[in-house]
Amino acid sequence: MGKRITVPFGSQHVALPEPVRFVFQTENERIVDVEVDVGYVHRGIEKACSTRFKYMQVGYVVARVCGLCAISHTLGYVTAIERLMEVEVPKRALYLRVLVSELDRIHSHLLAMGHTAEVAGYENLFMQTFRYRESVMELLELITGNRVQFDYVCPGGVNRDMTTELEKEIRKKLKELEEKCLWLKDVFENDFSLNLRWKGVGVVTKEMAKEMNVVGPPARAAGLETDVRAEFNYLPFEEVGFKLITRRGGDIYDRNLVRAEEVINSIEMVKNVLDGLPEGEIKVPVKGLPEGETFVRVEAPRGELFYYIKGTKKMVLDRVRIRVPTFANIPVMKKLFIGMDYSDVPATVISFDPCLSCTAR
Amino acid sequence: MELKKFRKKSPWILHYNTGSCNGCDIEILACLAPKYDLERFGILNRGNPKQSDILLVTGPVTKRAKERLLRLYFEMPEPKVVVAVGACACTGGVFRHMYNVENGVDSIIPVDVYVPGCAARPESIIDGVVKALEILEKKKKEIELPPYCKVPEGEKLNRRKLLERCLEVINAGRRS
Repeated sequence: MGKRITVPFGSQHVALPEPVRFVFQTENERIVDVEVDVGYVHRGIEKACSTRFKYMQVGYVVARVCGLCAISHTLGYVTAIERLMEVEVPKRALYLRVLVSELDRIHSHLLAMGHTAEVAGYENLFMQTFRYRESVMELLELITGNRVQFDYVCPGGVNRDMTTELEKEIRKKLKELEEKCLWLKDVFENDFSLNLRWKGVGVVTKEMAKEMNVVGPPARAAGLETDVRAEFNYLPFEEVGFKLITRRGGDIYDRNLVRAEEVINSIEMVKNVLDGLPEGEIKVPVKGLPEGETFVRVEAPRGELFYYIKGTKKMVLDRVRIRVPTFANIPVMKKLFIGMDYSDVPATVISFDPCLSCTAR
Repeated sequence: MELKKFRKKSPWILHYNTGSCNGCDIEILACLAPKYDLERFGILNRGNPKQSDILLVTGPVTKRAKERLLRLYFEMPEPKVVVAVGACACTGGVFRHMYNVENGVDSIIPVDVYVPGCAARPESIIDGVVKALEILEKKKKEIELPPYCKVPEGEKLNRRKLLERCLEVINAGRRS
């Protein structure tokens, strides 16, 4: 065997949007060891949530854990605080929450798919995916008033109502978006060279996924039936036509296809929400102080997101604990790297859609 | 020199995330994508500090990212412009006074353009970068004006002080 070569990758690199550091030990092209360092973006949000901010403000702080799944973080926290204080949220607010969280999932999945295409050398497909993603961003801006940090969900309901004109506009744009997404799915499924590049690379088997506790699209691509939307009752997903999507391959190709199918399912769900949007209040006041402890699981675009909160009749909570999906996916990623060609590494990393500002907080 | 001519036409940007929430970062990506298309100003996103002219910084600068940010800043050749993108890069934003945060980019390196917003909108990022181009032009003239490249007296003092302070920080980080 050849001599060992150390290849540092990060913390600043053109392919990385976030600071993470990998140190690969390679023998010729093959990787024999890897070290991961994710701590560059640690800000201390959990500590600040339990010392500096009141419980009504924490929802807006945890949204800043991650910009891509901002709605999931707020949703997790807000659901937890509502369970703790036994607030009954109006049905209309719940439906609007489903709407925004599914739109958020669409844009996050499109981003991940675009990135994998770019890493495979398909710059053009990357640009095309991003162009389609912009129409989702426009929809989100129409509904919530901001492009990335929505601050839409608040304890007791949502912050903005939906009007009839807005609904019409959304329906029109969704129709266009659906056609585009079907086209994208077709490309990701049938393109010859993409198939060659992705099939059989970075395979996670069902046993591996079960053993190493993989979550989100990578787990569903491996055939593991895990989706918090079906397991934990926090929003009325069953009523709006949620389908659990699984595939069997477990490679990069299947992960992308799971994402593509989920995008189409999400568009359907958004349509159903618009059809069956109930009338009524969008917000109820929240009074009192939180006491006791509870936990909530939420399906973020990247997988299961876990919130634990504890309060003792004070304005400031005792403890806020966040467990994010990327954290659960790191062990399996590390296992996959060993024995892999160095050239396959970027594609594998991006296909897990890692979010490091979530992981380090 | 040819380089000076083309620097105006095609400035390259370097993007570094110092602990932001990814919100501003995906907006910078969206800027480079077809709808907003920052590349029409000749701007390219390259990850190499030694070839870049504009440094886009997002995030409130965590303690570990500080050292990297300084190194990137010193590796960039003059003239260079620093753009702080987003509320947390400008002041620290919602993360201000958290235990692992340095409260904004300007507490570490001099900032030329501030782009507000949480997250900063693509339009305002483009506006900020175009402003940065003007400043880049000005800085270039300051450097060019004396034929034998003499830096003004006050400027020199400041830079040396800054350099000393920053080197101290880098070395302190290494020892621990």
